[in-house]
Amino acid sequence: MAEDKYNMKNPAVKRIMQEVKEMQSNPSDDFMSLPLEDNLFEWQFAIRGPRDTEFEGGIYHGRIQLPAEYPFKPPSFMLLTPNGRFETQTKICLSISNHHPEHWQPSWSVRTALVALIAFMPTNPNGALGSLDYKKEERRALTIKSRQAAPKYGTPDRQKLMDEIHENMLSKAPPVPQLTPSESPEEPSSNSEIEPPANSQDAEGVVTREVPSNPEVGERIIEEVQEVPDNANPNPTGVRASREVSASGPSDQLLPKPETRVQKPADDRLFTWAAVGLTIAILVLLLKKFMKSSGHGAVFLDGS
Amino acid sequence: MQNQEGCGGGGGGATSCEFEDWGSFGDEAIIQQKSEISADEAQKIPFVADKEPISALAAEYQSGSPILLEKIKILGEQYAAIRRTRGDGNCFFRSFMFSYLEHILDSQDQAEVDRIKAKVEECRKTLQSLGYTDFTFEDFFALFLEQLDSVLQGSESSISHDELIIRSRDQSISDYVVMFFRFVTAGEIRKRSEFFEPFVMGLSNGTVEQFCKSAVEPMGEESDHVHITALSDALGVPIRVVYLDRSSCDTGGVSVNHHDFIPTTSDLPNSTSGSTQSIQPYITLLYRPGHYDILYPK
Repeated sequence: MAEDKYNMKNPAVKRIMQEVKEMQSNPSDDFMSLPLEDNLFEWQFAIRGPRDTEFEGGIYHGRIQLPAEYPFKPPSFMLLTPNGRFETQTKICLSISNHHPEHWQPSWSVRTALVALIAFMPTNPNGALGSLDYKKEERRALTIKSRQAAPKYGTPDRQKLMDEIHENMLSKAPPVPQLTPSESPEEPSSNSEIEPPANSQDAEGVVTREVPSNPEVGERIIEEVQEVPDNANPNPTGVRASREVSASGPSDQLLPKPETRVQKPADDRLFTWAAVGLTIAILVLLLKKFMKSSGHGAVFLDGS
Repeated sequence: MQNQEGCGGGGGGATSCEFEDWGSFGDEAIIQQKSEISADEAQKIPFVADKEPISALAAEYQSGSPILLEKIKILGEQYAAIRRTRGDGNCFFRSFMFSYLEHILDSQDQAEVDRIKAKVEECRKTLQSLGYTDFTFEDFFALFLEQLDSVLQGSESSISHDELIIRSRDQSISDYVVMFFRFVTAGEIRKRSEFFEPFVMGLSNGTVEQFCKSAVEPMGEESDHVHITALSDALGVPIRVVYLDRSSCDTGGVSVNHHDFIPTTSDLPNSTSGSTQSIQPYITLLYRPGHYDILYPK
């Protein structure tokens, strides 16, 4: 259609030149688009898959054709990289990209259209022509594949431009996010359930697990406590606290909590852990005592 | 026929594809069909036609409503001629364009040119403040200003009346000026969205911004009171619209109604506050339901 030399009096040519200039002076990380060297009305583009979607990290190439009546008539878009959302080498149905042909307006540009195209990637195709509705996993596989290289398409000149765009986009594109199988649930809640041991065996099991971590937690508590001026205490508080608690018995297991309230919320967990550990230790001691006394009781029972 | 060419893209005949392909009647087909319709229209009438006597209008309604014929008779007493414009949805803007430039060409009113240029600058700032990208509208602004300079005589680029008609029929100029007015209109409506909101609500269900996106900025979208008011206000140009419809007074007398759109902006040199009578619009358009043409007073 258009030859090497352009008639700069042609308003479409003038406009397109301005868009090229604007595109180059305000580059975006989300897309890149340039006309072919020998045809101002034929562009190549690549868009970045939108964040927080199955397309994140992907690089999708496509082709833009600008009509001779541009910007009165809309540009047409087609994707070339398999993506699972739009068919490749098929003009993207303009209605679904919100650019109804009858409502296209000259105040829009290639940039506006590309931004809209990115925004439409994660939307539901609703059976629109030229749309695909692949599963997320399939799309994600295509996302990973899309990074390898630009698709093979068109003349060597076009391919060269696509390869350049690909390299440029790849240097800026974030990695494809790793899928985390499942989120780890909060551990403290399960621990609090262990607190009241039903029998001695369970209690012992808990103790053996808790013991190694206890000193560390105790030290941290001491550090924290020392920061509180009111509690300036030369003696190792961990030891004192354990004595006091052991004296008052299991009903007082909440005792250390008033101290923890002074601390920041993050430290609260440490105190809780320490309290749980201490309580379990005390409970074990009490159980041992109880075992002894019950042993005596058994003797008495035997005797009776 | 052009219709067959466009429809038969898939290989089938005109009739078969018309009924089989409804499901895949995509944007391409719609665009194709629209351009065919406008091509058809273009064969009938240029963007801006030649001047015709009012009697030509009467001929159109030979066997029509007697009220209309009566009104055309009255029109004939006040107006000398009519200049039709193409019914492509841009007729209001196209009529305004030609009528305004013709007025400047005839009057050589340098003061008016200076005044409107200042207004155009304001419009440019309005669009910028609304977030429009410069390159999306500046070509249209530049082209209008170029026409404005051309109709003023005495410079190398000056044009004759014939040349103005040629340019008005040249799509690459005419459509650009129409689009310039669309930008100006959209900018004014959005700038004063609170004022225009109730009117826009009456025409569409959307917001002012949506209205501009769907009914002002796209080419071929027809104009209503809202557009005329906004354009008249934005450029400070009064517009008279004469209504030719079948309405008649209960009292029996037939009269032709008109409405003057007088810019609300106070900086019109000859406007005294409150009285709109003092302003004589130099742009007069004839409105028939769905279409605007240019009228020439006697």
